[in-house]
Amino acid sequence: MAATADENEATDETTAAPGPEPAERRRRPGRIAQAVSVFGELLITLGVLLGLFVVYSLWWTNVLADRKADRQADKVRQHWAQQKDSGPGALDTKDGIGFLHVPAMKNGTVLVEKGTGTDVLNGGVAGYYTDPVKATLPTTGKEGNFALAAHRDGHGAKFHNIDKLEKGDPIVFETRDDWYVYKVFAILPETSKYDIGVVDPVPEESGKKKAGHYITLTTCTPVYTSRYRYVVWGELVRVQKVDGKRTPPAELR
Amino acid sequence: MYGWIWRHLPGNAWVRALISVLLVLAVVYVLFQYVFPWAEPLLPFNDVTVDNQ
Repeated sequence: MAATADENEATDETTAAPGPEPAERRRRPGRIAQAVSVFGELLITLGVLLGLFVVYSLWWTNVLADRKADRQADKVRQHWAQQKDSGPGALDTKDGIGFLHVPAMKNGTVLVEKGTGTDVLNGGVAGYYTDPVKATLPTTGKEGNFALAAHRDGHGAKFHNIDKLEKGDPIVFETRDDWYVYKVFAILPETSKYDIGVVDPVPEESGKKKAGHYITLTTCTPVYTSRYRYVVWGELVRVQKVDGKRTPPAELR
Repeated sequence: MYGWIWRHLPGNAWVRALISVLLVLAVVYVLFQYVFPWAEPLLPFNDVTVDNQ
C-alpha cells in the first residue's frame, strides 16, 4: 500500500500534467542538475570577472593615470610660468622635472618624474631611474645616462608605441629653460628585466664605450606582458633655449 | 544562483530587471574601485620592476 502511494507521488512529479503548483515543481530540479547549474554560473561569473579585469587593466587604469598626469602636468607648467622671473631656480623634482616628446610614439607629451616605483609610474608618467643606477639629469649638464621607464600597457601606457621608434628618430626632453634634442642610435628589442646594465652611465650594450650625454627609454615587452624589457638609446644632439613663446624645436614641428 | 536572486527581487519583471542592472553596476563599481586595485599587484600580469615587486 505504501509502495503504491510512493509510486503515485513519483509519477505525479514527473508527469507534465497541469498540477496544482507547476511553478513550484519547475523550481526544484534534481540535486545534481542544481549543482551543475550553480557550477556553470560560477564559471560564467569567473569569465566575466576576468573580462572585467582586462577592461580595468587596459582601459580604466589609462583613464585614471591620464587624468592624474594631466593635472600634474598643469601644475608643473604653472610652476614654470610663475618661476619665470625668479631666474634659474632650483629644480623642482616633486611634481615633475619636465616633459618628454617622442614624435614617433604619437602620444603627445609625457611628464617625467623622479623614481621608477609603481607608485610613480602608475601616475601615467615616465620616471627616471634612481635605482640601481642614478640617472644623470640633462639639466646638470654632466655626462651620463638619462634613463627613463614607463608602462607599456595600462596606467597611461606612455611607452606603448616604443616599437615605432627607429634609429635617427628624435627624442626631445623639455624643461623650463631648455629643449634637449636626442637622436636614437641603438635599440634593444628584448632583454631580461635583470639586465640593469642598460641604464648604466655608459650603456655598453648600445655599443658606446665612452661617456656622453645619453638618454635611455625602457619599458616592458612584448605588449600586454611584462616578460622582457625593450630598450631605446639616444644621444644628445643639441640643446636649444626655450624662447618666450615656447616654440618647439624643428624636430617637433 | 542568479535564478535565486531573480526570484527574491521584489516587483514585476521590469522592476526586477532595473534592480538587476543597478546591482550589476554596483558590483562593477566595487570591483573597479576597490577589488582590482587591490588585486593588481598580487597578480603576475604586471611585474614591471625588479626591486619593487
